[in-house]
Amino acid sequence: MTLDTAEIPRRRLPLPPMKLIRPVVSLGVLFGLWEIAARTGAISAFLFPPPSAIFAALWISAGPNGDPPYGILLDIALSLYRLLAGVGLALVLGTIIGLAIGLTGWGRAVFKPIISALMPIPTLAWTPVLLLVFGIDNRTTITVVFIAASFEIIYNVVTGIEMMTRKVYWVAASMGASRLQTLRYVVLPGILPYLITGLKLGVGYAWRALIAAEMLAASSHGLGFMIYDAQEYMDMKSIYGGILTISVMGLLIERGVIGALEKRTIEKWGVNVER
Amino acid sequence: MSNVEKILSDPVGETATLAPKPKITAEGAGIRFGSIVAVEDFTTVIREREFVSIIGPSGCGKSTLLYAIAGFLKTTSGVLKVDGKPIVKPGPDRGIVFQEFVLFPWRTVLRNITLGPEIAGLPRAEAEERARKWIRLTGLGGFENAYPATLSGGMKQRVAIARALTCEPDILLLDEPFGALDVQTKNYVMKDLQDLWIAASKTILMVTHSVQEATLMADRVLILGARPSRIVADVRIDLPHPRDPLDQRLGRYRQEVTEILSAEVDRAMKGERGQ
Ligand SMILES: Nc1ncnc2c1ncn2[C@@H]1O[C@H](COP(=O)(O)OP(=O)(O)OP(=O)(O)O)[C@@H](O)[C@H]1O
Ligand SMILES: [Mg+2]
Repeated sequence: MTLDTAEIPRRRLPLPPMKLIRPVVSLGVLFGLWEIAARTGAISAFLFPPPSAIFAALWISAGPNGDPPYGILLDIALSLYRLLAGVGLALVLGTIIGLAIGLTGWGRAVFKPIISALMPIPTLAWTPVLLLVFGIDNRTTITVVFIAASFEIIYNVVTGIEMMTRKVYWVAASMGASRLQTLRYVVLPGILPYLITGLKLGVGYAWRALIAAEMLAASSHGLGFMIYDAQEYMDMKSIYGGILTISVMGLLIERGVIGALEKRTIEKWGVNVER
Repeated sequence: MSNVEKILSDPVGETATLAPKPKITAEGAGIRFGSIVAVEDFTTVIREREFVSIIGPSGCGKSTLLYAIAGFLKTTSGVLKVDGKPIVKPGPDRGIVFQEFVLFPWRTVLRNITLGPEIAGLPRAEAEERARKWIRLTGLGGFENAYPATLSGGMKQRVAIARALTCEPDILLLDEPFGALDVQTKNYVMKDLQDLWIAASKTILMVTHSVQEATLMADRVLILGARPSRIVADVRIDLPHPRDPLDQRLGRYRQEVTEILSAEVDRAMKGERGQ
């Protein structure tokens, strides 16, 4: 996993670490070439507007002169809200279902076949159904996020439980732990590294599914809808601006939020999750 | 009744040799896994504050026996009793140290050790108070806030022992506690364990492969035969504690135990070839 970065010795030079320089250089070159190609007319400036123009358009749409004012910020906020609500739901229900499958016979009997049957269905295939059930509503996109994030969370929670040796439970039992105490002191912290892995993968899937679902189902706003809407007006700059924002937000969530969670748990504990 | 009164009221003078009360009683205890008989007809009495060592060929059912006394496994024939009552489940009166330590990686050294009292419902401050004593006696001072992943095998061993002792069990069950240690560390920890045993006045049952460990530490060495195992010899090591590994008399005991053990291994090998 990402733990091996901890072993790279820190350079004492006052330069930013190579880890940061390399992606900046490689992306800088890409955007630079694009800019030149678009400005010199080597590629169509309509289909591939120069990056400087894309950033300028983004900047305007983030301010009071945007159409609507602060439009991109609203889109980001709404997409994040849907992601957070859906993932939160998946985290709670997914953990509970995972625990039921991993720890109880009835849980396995009830949920395993259902999950096996649902697993091969692409999340977006649910959108028509959800649209009929909820209509054009936040609930539709939130449910898509929930479905997209759930499977990885459930799967990883079950794996986490399976990886625990019976001796861990024995230690708790010899301390006189009740079933609830065993859950609290042994099972939950024991599966946490796996839960985080499941969350990381689940959020990745959910973010992609959300953008796609917003194109199909959102009545207004959200990054997916923004791109869809811009296409109607052939507003290429907004389309690229939206794509760029999706990429940056996705990275921030995965690296920033989940990375911080990993630092505070598995990296601190020195635990490695095999996957 | 005070001791003096006992002696006065005991004309035959039995109290002069009054042995401590039986702590663990095994009456024909047997454990089988399907068709595999792991332990057969195990009968013995281990008294309060006795240090008994169990030695025998690999796979003869030593761990299985220990797990049954801890209450993790059930006997399939005969009875195992603690304080005269049949063992039905694990409990804090019996502490166990596994060969693989089985520490909780998400808890610091201190938190691993305080888990028992925490489960028993003690406030944190009180749990720590109790843990401090064993942290000091096991030489873990200064490592309280380290996570298990950062510790050496010897340190993990000490944490496992301190964790078991902090639950204040009457009986300490040790499964090959020095297996994972190098010779240097092993000698240290063995010395520590003898001191701890003298300080803690517990009943200790220790499974080992090593004749040297068994004779150095135990009051009695139970030698188990090859599977299906029964006790082939019960050797009392009549030397005061703490013992000097270089003691001549200890050498003689070592020889005695070794001879019985090799005869047993020979017999087992012949038996296997004869089949
Ligand atoms: N859960 C189990 N299911 C089936 N057989 C088992 C199980 N646990 C142990 N056994 C068998 O019971 C026998 C005794 O095992 P046990 O682990 O108690 O031996 P041991 O004396 O501790 O061996 P070692 O010295 O190698 O640790 C072995 O033949 C083993 O294969
Ligand atoms: Mg064993």
